[in-house]
Amino acid sequence: MKPHVSRLVAALVALAVAADLAAAAPGKVLEPGKLVILSTTDVKGENEPCG
Amino acid sequence: MLVDNGNFFPVSADELHRDKAWFLMDGMQLLGTDAVGMSEQELKYGRGWLLAQLKRSRLPMTSANVWDKGTKKTLLPPYLVVKKGGLKVGVFSLTSDKADLGPARDSLMVEEPTKAATRVMAELKKKGANVVVLLSQLGKVESEDLVTGVDGIDVVIAGRNVPMIQKGRLVKKTMACYGGERGQAVGRTIVTLGPDQRMQSGENDVFSLGPEVQDKPEILAVVKSFNDAFNDKSRKLEKEQAAKAGIAAGGEGQGQKASPDRYLGMEVCQRCHQPEHQQWLTTSHAKAWQTLVDIKRDATAECVGCHVVGYRQPGGFQTGDDAARLGNVQCENCHGMGTQHEAMPTDAQKVTEATCRTCHTASTSPAFDFAIFQPHIMHKVPAHLPPLPPNPAKEKMKAGTMH
Repeated sequence: MKPHVSRLVAALVALAVAADLAAAAPGKVLEPGKLVILSTTDVKGENEPCG
Repeated sequence: MLVDNGNFFPVSADELHRDKAWFLMDGMQLLGTDAVGMSEQELKYGRGWLLAQLKRSRLPMTSANVWDKGTKKTLLPPYLVVKKGGLKVGVFSLTSDKADLGPARDSLMVEEPTKAATRVMAELKKKGANVVVLLSQLGKVESEDLVTGVDGIDVVIAGRNVPMIQKGRLVKKTMACYGGERGQAVGRTIVTLGPDQRMQSGENDVFSLGPEVQDKPEILAVVKSFNDAFNDKSRKLEKEQAAKAGIAAGGEGQGQKASPDRYLGMEVCQRCHQPEHQQWLTTSHAKAWQTLVDIKRDATAECVGCHVVGYRQPGGFQTGDDAARLGNVQCENCHGMGTQHEAMPTDAQKVTEATCRTCHTASTSPAFDFAIFQPHIMHKVPAHLPPLPPNPAKEKMKAGTMH
């Protein structure tokens, strides 16, 4: 992981974009035969780089 | 689909950070999060508070092995079945049986994870789940052990002090994702389905979203609104706590008065170091406090420490009332406390990268490169110094969410 791209975006904002990347509409699998699961882990209240 | 494996509540347990907990729940719901796991952290304000917030936010949280001692039922739904494009995705979460449930410890208990997983897998099989995802709060080794011993779990999102690993790996037949913590990255697991609509193969990586990825305006607005309110509330609390501790502007708490060493502020330094002071005025360090004021983070403790002198240290910045004298990144941030003047290095080069890195971290200052940035704050600025490279993060900082 390159340091300059780590934790650049608030977790929520990151998720918002990530959600867009994963699926244009909820409930749809974009590519037939594939399921894309985006996940966040142990966010610990971080919603911006300094807290 | 979008999942979070729990432990998303703030580490601090005070009232201020409790606000952040419900805000994050609302945020996840707003994003359409399909399932959220639970760790003991989500019980830190008590079971009643959690249940009330789940009802209010309608966040789909699940936990397979946290039981109510009174009702003999699991506190939350033991699993969820999420329908995605004709698929049934079973999701369940496990809390570590080593967890301290805090204020809920008397009324709740944690079941041994393997026993809970075995039971839930049998139920998910009956429900016809095509793919099963485990949101694990067991740690790395225990997560791997569990999916090795319990058949049928296709994906495990491993959490609880699990280091970030760029590429996930197959553990027996389960794709494991190690996504790190604190919102540093997003895990992406791609499950390829066979003709039977079951997982045929999987792959996983972990990625971060840099400035090149645009923020979603409606979410950004919600985040900014919350952060602004959080800052206002922090300021109020800061003043209340300062009054309680007997801290006057420019002073320190009772516990700090005994310290022989203290911060003095730039007014003292510049009496003898006027040329250096004049050069400092041209740097970004001299505007560091105003930067926080502009983005309304001037009372947010996690931010203030790197924008003032000696935050909450003897003689250092205690509250916003000290901003005029101790705001900005001043002499003592790099060179040390004024009372330790005799021990300070005389060679400016001795202010090392390590000193800068106490604040210019990968997360707070991702564009920082010591070799490029350091010449710009040296008191003898080299001739023909090229300007600093453009920082795409600046625009995001103006938006109020990041550096």
